[in-house]
Amino acid sequence: MSRTATLLTRLAMLIVFLGAWEVLPRAGIVNPMLLPPLSQVVATLGDIVARSDFREAMAVTAAEVVVAFVIAVPLGAALGVLLAENAYLGAIFRPMLFYVFSIPKSIFLPMFILAFGIGFGQKVAYATFSTVFIVIMSTSAAVESVKAEYILVAQSYGATRAQILRRIYVPSMMPILLEAVRISMIFNFTGVMIAEMYASRTGVGHMIANWGENFMLPQLFAGVIVLALAAMAFNELVRSLEVRCSRWRS
Amino acid sequence: MQQVAKLKPQVETGRANAVEVTGVSHIYHGREGAVPALTDIDMTVPAGRFTVIVGPSGCGKTSLLMMLAGLRTPTAGTILCDGRPIPSPDPQRVGVVFQEASLYPWLTALDNVEFPLALKGSPRGERRDRAQAMLKLVGLDSFGGRYPHELSGGMKQRVSIARGLVQDPPVLLMDEPFAALDEQTRMTMGHELLRIWDETNKTVVFITHSLTEAVYLADEVLVMSARPGRIIDRVAVDLPRPRTYQMMATDKFGQLRERIWQQIRAKE
Repeated sequence: MSRTATLLTRLAMLIVFLGAWEVLPRAGIVNPMLLPPLSQVVATLGDIVARSDFREAMAVTAAEVVVAFVIAVPLGAALGVLLAENAYLGAIFRPMLFYVFSIPKSIFLPMFILAFGIGFGQKVAYATFSTVFIVIMSTSAAVESVKAEYILVAQSYGATRAQILRRIYVPSMMPILLEAVRISMIFNFTGVMIAEMYASRTGVGHMIANWGENFMLPQLFAGVIVLALAAMAFNELVRSLEVRCSRWRS
Repeated sequence: MQQVAKLKPQVETGRANAVEVTGVSHIYHGREGAVPALTDIDMTVPAGRFTVIVGPSGCGKTSLLMMLAGLRTPTAGTILCDGRPIPSPDPQRVGVVFQEASLYPWLTALDNVEFPLALKGSPRGERRDRAQAMLKLVGLDSFGGRYPHELSGGMKQRVSIARGLVQDPPVLLMDEPFAALDEQTRMTMGHELLRIWDETNKTVVFITHSLTEAVYLADEVLVMSARPGRIIDRVAVDLPRPRTYQMMATDKFGQLRERIWQQIRAKE
């Protein structure tokens, strides 16, 4: 199917979807209390974004996401590199990590609440915990993806260890690392949301949970849309970086 | 057409031998214990010669090459390149071309050729000029801006050769550089290599599995036995230069190749 045809089909589906969202509740086919019409949601979106309490909540959530990310990524990367480079440690810990990774992190949330309370620190701690494992595993994979031949060639030209790290490991690992950043942010964001929705007095997740409990559906949908847009924006940003750094991958 | 046998220029005094290997043995410590890889290798390559090493798989020829490159140290014996030992890689003395071109995919062809100079910290302008000159030597001067994934197998190897020559080392080591190429490309590349060798006057030590390639390229063929590798024959190839494809059909060529083949078979 040609590119134009694909684009037009996608556009058509989007219009159908949005159209249904508007028409079905208004016509009463779907209960408008459960699914507010699109126009109402959009109007509410405009309202809440202007509210200072919502903006404060967004700031809190953003801070939690950023701080957790800034801790989890370097920590996870360092551990990932260590496990890939040190055969002994790698052999011991990597199978264990694999098992731990398979456990859904949300079950640990009550423990984090007991240990850290329900403030900023707890959400950061929990989100870091949710994210660090995927970073470790992706970084290990990235290190191993550097071909031995590349290193041998560099050695035959008298490269020092530092030169090999900078000139071979870094560019070679970049596409995988960027992909890892993109995916870890998804885990990170999810972690923050779960913590905020479950037990928090601040943040967008808390507001969304509150709206849900109070059956304020237009606000709930509006809040979800704001978060979705933020997540997609970050995703696209990293993806465009990935594309730039991956041009050499055929 | 008359073949004009080209005489190699007289070697300079004090640099008579580009490569001298004396009594080299190597024991490799693997999981099953100590494995003798090479036994008592003696090898002398005069400057400007094209020497080819053939031998069965696993005979240790790659290990020997790694030692000549300074990437490995033999457990016994001495190796001198250009009159001095080579305990660690010295790309200004010994250039290496591996079987896998191993060009860095995130660098253009020109950047790849510049790579050894970038490691040394040469200034940008000089690096660029030198690398461009090397690409021209291997016939790829208009391909500098291409990425490796845009190049054919033969072109990648040519870039790899340009990279090996960029610091003008007197000795060039090549470990089965054409093994991954199809037969026709191999033949063309062999011919190209002889042209480059003729223009630059390097000393070349070339490893191959192919007996035809060995006789076609070499001044002398060193035949190695299976592990533990030792040199079982030294065959002087006195075919005139420049070599031509037609020579491959001559009796002389066939006899030389047969002699090498018999040696390898006898030791199996």
